[in-house]
Amino acid sequence: MVLVMPRSWSSMSDFETFLNNGGIVEPDDAMPDEYRAAVFKFIELHANSEQMGGLTERDWIPRTPGLRHKMAVIAKTQDEFGHAHLLYMVAADMGIKTRRKMIEDLYAGKSRFHNVFHYRAKTWGHQVAIAFLVDAAALASQQAVFKNCSYGPYRRILKRIISEEGFHMRLGEDRMMRIAQGTEMQREMFQQAIDDWWWPALQLFGPDSKPNDLLLRWHIKSERNEVLRDRWVQKFVPMLQSYGFTIPDPGLHFDDDADRWVAGPIDWEPLKKTFANVGPDSARRIGEASSHWESSAWVRDALATPELVST
Amino acid sequence: MSVAHQPPLDIMQLEARVHSAVSSVDDPEYPGVSIVDLGLLESIDIGTDGTAQIGLISTFSGCPALAVIADDVTAAVQALPGVSGCKVTWLSAPAWHADRVSHEARASLERKFTVAVQIGLRATTCPLCGSKTEEQSMFGPSRCRSVHTCTGCGETVEVMRG
Repeated sequence: MVLVMPRSWSSMSDFETFLNNGGIVEPDDAMPDEYRAAVFKFIELHANSEQMGGLTERDWIPRTPGLRHKMAVIAKTQDEFGHAHLLYMVAADMGIKTRRKMIEDLYAGKSRFHNVFHYRAKTWGHQVAIAFLVDAAALASQQAVFKNCSYGPYRRILKRIISEEGFHMRLGEDRMMRIAQGTEMQREMFQQAIDDWWWPALQLFGPDSKPNDLLLRWHIKSERNEVLRDRWVQKFVPMLQSYGFTIPDPGLHFDDDADRWVAGPIDWEPLKKTFANVGPDSARRIGEASSHWESSAWVRDALATPELVST
Repeated sequence: MSVAHQPPLDIMQLEARVHSAVSSVDDPEYPGVSIVDLGLLESIDIGTDGTAQIGLISTFSGCPALAVIADDVTAAVQALPGVSGCKVTWLSAPAWHADRVSHEARASLERKFTVAVQIGLRATTCPLCGSKTEEQSMFGPSRCRSVHTCTGCGETVEVMRG
């Protein structure tokens, strides 16, 4: 494959025509500033979420029951940090913030990361619910971006990330089957986890997309939030019910005419709090991440000292 | 080898079918790329009673995909008529090496996943533009991959190594 020469567009409407015709933007193209800013912000949010997700996963390495699950958690931790690393590289190439600046902003509580990482995973049941429900929600959102993403480097990285997240889903399903078919105590633990994580997982998709959503207009995302959310509800309600678990949504009902599940009204206040970094576990999460960053400063200093690093 | 030591024809045919069943299993992290093309299959032994013993090797020890791959191989092989049972074993030798990756798999990793395969100490080239890549980090999202950037087009490239 030969990469095309850097391109430029005479107006936003020319650029949008290019996007509407399936054009893919590459880093050296003279893309409009608004597009650059929107793509950057989106990738930075994704990178931050992988980074905070890796830290959450890492917390569970010593606490995970059984060697097989433990191996999977160790590998998943590496996956999440690896994804964050790749995404930070792609984001930094856009020339808005350096990688270090993005990490510093994240750990100073100045940046956003996904709502689900503002809650604490308190039991193994929570970890199973996260691997099963939350990862599925995150994967659905990423697939919707990948399907038609107009920014080339992000699209290519997403292809690999999605394959790996798909593999996490299989591990999550395996964990869910084990706990669902386990003892009464394990089932109670999982029911509690569904009660605690159902709403944050649903809120991960965000409120209904606005008609003029720029992410949709510029083919960064390809599907509306409410469509993705609804698809997730259609999949997980019957699945959890078939294992005898209940969904903590009093408004949830089956609409016979439409032949589908309809969720009750969603309270968006908790989501807004996580956006402002004042969710239930935000302070502890950011505080811990920032203390790791400080305590590992000597490693970065050593790596930046050529005479200490043999090649 | 004398004719008397050759396995009977039907066992050889079964072995060929088992081989193609194992080939139909993809790496869980690279849909569309067969584990046989990645060099994971080491041996197939078919017993006279129709049991299949599959010997696989892992790219890196501690790979989290081993259980999933073994399950997928067992399911694919057991579904074959004439197979009475299947046992998958992860062999400790020989060690996997990146030169076991077939040309087809390498092309597919490059084209579909922008992942390059490093062979020995040879410099890795960018799957997009063919320029040399530079290592940024020894480890990427998994132990069998490092992270590079392309010196030509700047693409972030993952490199499978071993």
